[in-house]
Amino acid sequence: MSDEAARAVSTPTGPVPQGPPGADYNSASITVLKGLEAVRKRPGMYIGDTDDGSGLHHMAFEIIDNSVDEAQAGYATRVEVVLNGDGSVAVRDDGRGIPVDMHEEEGVSAAEVVLTRLHAGGKFNQNSYKVSGGLHGVGAAVVNALSEWMEVRIWRNGIEHFIRFEHGETVEPLRIIGPSAERTGTEVVFKPSSGTFTKTEYDFAVLERRLRELAFLNSGLAIALKDDRHVPAEEIFFQFRGGLTAYVEWLDQGKEPLFRPPIAAISREHEGIRVELAMWWNNTPREVALCFTNNIPQRDGGTHQAGFRQALTRVVMKYAEDLAKKEKVELSGEDMREGLTAVISVKVPDPKFSSQTKDKLVSSEVQPVVQVAVADALTHWFETHPKEAKIVLEQVVLAAAARKAAQLARDKVGRKNALEFSTLPGKLADCQEKDPARSELFLVEGDSAGGSAKQGRNRAYQAILPLKGKILNVERARMDKMLSSAEIGTLITALGTGIGPGEPAKGGFDPNKLRYHRIVIMTDADVDGSHIRTLLLTFFFRQMPELIERGHLYIAQPPLYRAKRGNDERYLKDDRALEDYLLEKALNGASMRLGDGRELAGAELRAEMEQLRQIASRIRRLAAQLPPEIVEQAAVAGALSLDADRATAAAARLVARLNALAAPSERHWNAAPGENGLQLWRTVRGVTERHALTQAALRSAEARWLDERRELLARDFAEGATLMLDANGTPVQGPVMALERVLQQGRKGLTIQRFKGLGEMNPEQLWKTTLDPAVRTLLRVQVNDVKEAENAFSTLMGDVVEPRREFIVTNALKVANLDV
Amino acid sequence: MADKPQSATHPCPVCGRPADPEGRFRPFCSARCRQVDLGRWLAEDYAIPGEPPALPGDDEERG
Repeated sequence: MSDEAARAVSTPTGPVPQGPPGADYNSASITVLKGLEAVRKRPGMYIGDTDDGSGLHHMAFEIIDNSVDEAQAGYATRVEVVLNGDGSVAVRDDGRGIPVDMHEEEGVSAAEVVLTRLHAGGKFNQNSYKVSGGLHGVGAAVVNALSEWMEVRIWRNGIEHFIRFEHGETVEPLRIIGPSAERTGTEVVFKPSSGTFTKTEYDFAVLERRLRELAFLNSGLAIALKDDRHVPAEEIFFQFRGGLTAYVEWLDQGKEPLFRPPIAAISREHEGIRVELAMWWNNTPREVALCFTNNIPQRDGGTHQAGFRQALTRVVMKYAEDLAKKEKVELSGEDMREGLTAVISVKVPDPKFSSQTKDKLVSSEVQPVVQVAVADALTHWFETHPKEAKIVLEQVVLAAAARKAAQLARDKVGRKNALEFSTLPGKLADCQEKDPARSELFLVEGDSAGGSAKQGRNRAYQAILPLKGKILNVERARMDKMLSSAEIGTLITALGTGIGPGEPAKGGFDPNKLRYHRIVIMTDADVDGSHIRTLLLTFFFRQMPELIERGHLYIAQPPLYRAKRGNDERYLKDDRALEDYLLEKALNGASMRLGDGRELAGAELRAEMEQLRQIASRIRRLAAQLPPEIVEQAAVAGALSLDADRATAAAARLVARLNALAAPSERHWNAAPGENGLQLWRTVRGVTERHALTQAALRSAEARWLDERRELLARDFAEGATLMLDANGTPVQGPVMALERVLQQGRKGLTIQRFKGLGEMNPEQLWKTTLDPAVRTLLRVQVNDVKEAENAFSTLMGDVVEPRREFIVTNALKVANLDV
Repeated sequence: MADKPQSATHPCPVCGRPADPEGRFRPFCSARCRQVDLGRWLAEDYAIPGEPPALPGDDEERG
């Protein structure tokens, strides 16, 4: 134990131990004050709450702190705490042992003075202990006064001494037991008085926590805790070499630090104050910053915490400035403390606290010292760890951005009013149905289409929210498209789900509050429509993924064409659907005689046409640079090949076919297969026309695919085929020709209208094609589809400007067009 | 419907670190990054680069 009473010193029985300077200390220097009676009368004032257990544990901490003080002064290396079966607690250290010489004024042993007189402690005289925890030296005597009994053994110079008290009164004065193997040390055993404490049972976990803390704060000190109250006895041992660094690592077990090892520093002593620090950041939003003064924790911080925060803010602010500008955020101190785990330990002579419980340090001289020490340590670290520093600064800036976002969400998203229903946005044309399972919300691009949709809908269960992509002229060079914040706010309010991570009651996102179980995105089939759809899909995917996972999000399929004959009208969603319709119409009752003499009709003819359609689409793709009929005839002639063995014969067949198709006076085609592919030319009336099927074209997937089908094509068309679509047969020389002829027949008598946008449809048409559940087709958005849109979007929003523009133009449209 | 949550290997769209393996903040790594993303939407930082306008200086439709 330690009590304050001079341990450092000259006793009649032994040599002076080597201690800190100025430690010439003995019983004569102890100031004596009396009044244990007062302690017993009002124990709460001295030891804390006697009912809730805090006072009880404080009893043990008081004695333990004295041992730790002895270790801090450099004399003790180990502390052992034992919870005994009889309810007593033993605390033993290998320090110098309490002085055992006679106290001149009191006429009793120094040990007895220390243990029975209030304020009899070395801590009132800074020479004895420069810094110490404890309760201003009242400790041991207070504990004694509130104990049923206390027994103290003191070893000095290999001699064991013993003294016993009951309720603070000496019942056996100090006496020598005899020589001992133990050279120095103190053991205090006390049994808290059941007259004072409502509950006298110690909580192992509480002691464990404090002892671990002490072991971290006193690097190298060995601390053992043993619980002998139960069988088997529980025993734990702490000893940390790393000090505060080890403490910070321990606090963040299971979390992911942004860097290793923690930033650590121990300042030089300044005005008697020493600052020790360890800190790092993890990737959680929580801050854990523990402050200690002379080993005592300050739950409410104080001047050391203030100094630390000032330094942190100043240094990080300086380094994060550029990054913050880039992200367009303003940093505040709290941003720097997100994910921060820090331990600040100061050693201060005669510290002042705001209360007996020492929850807050008020010594003003501490603040500037801590600030300088922390600023120095941080600046040094930032300068020497640029890579780690960047990670920290990015996190700080993100924290600021998140704070800004929360503010924006409060400002821009409709709040609930006092009557507890949300104020729905004026732009929303809501439905009458209140059951979300039966309600639908259409997000319609553009005001004119929105107007048509409002008129055309079934207002019983269909709501319309018109949205318009806001156009931003960033530079004169281009027009960027975005969803305005007002529009996003409107959307969130209309959905009713709230947004963000907060509690649903405070506006945080809750998918269960969705007001419509079908949310239908309805945009034009053009570039603008595709951009808005990409923006909306990305927004839902990022901010409300549950809605997509639950299958609430859909894409409307408005028609691209209307085909009308007389009173019969058909709406067709795309080119493919239009072709299907035209084919169906033209092939009804038609037949086709192929080159090999087969005659196809009905289902067989339809299957043939389907195949021709696939062939034709590849021919068209391959024919981007030369006339389609040349590619078509090359396919039939088997000339789409890299095979040199076949090339000459195929070229000859191709020339013959092209000449056969040409007018009699223009049959001058020539072909030469060579290293650069197949060259084709003819000279008509002095003008030479040249084409080439290049190596690159011949190597393409389309050319290979067509070449694999050359025999099939030759069988059907080598000898020419004839389409019987009406009374007269039409000869056709290839698949494209055949298909074109059939489609042409299909178009006969039809008026075909192409809708350039939703706005071109009147309310009735919109209902008939896109809104009416009986006829419409909705595409349910799947997470995997939307992931692609999101990837495109991410690339687009990435840091590299040029490639991302390129990317969006070529890819984002493609991936956003989920229905093609 | 009821698709699997975002895979763990997907990078967080905001900070680029791996997304939360439990998918609580999908497709982000954390509530913070989701919040930052929301802030960017509300601050109108997300814009799809468009094509050059037909007439330079024509700002009729500017938002």
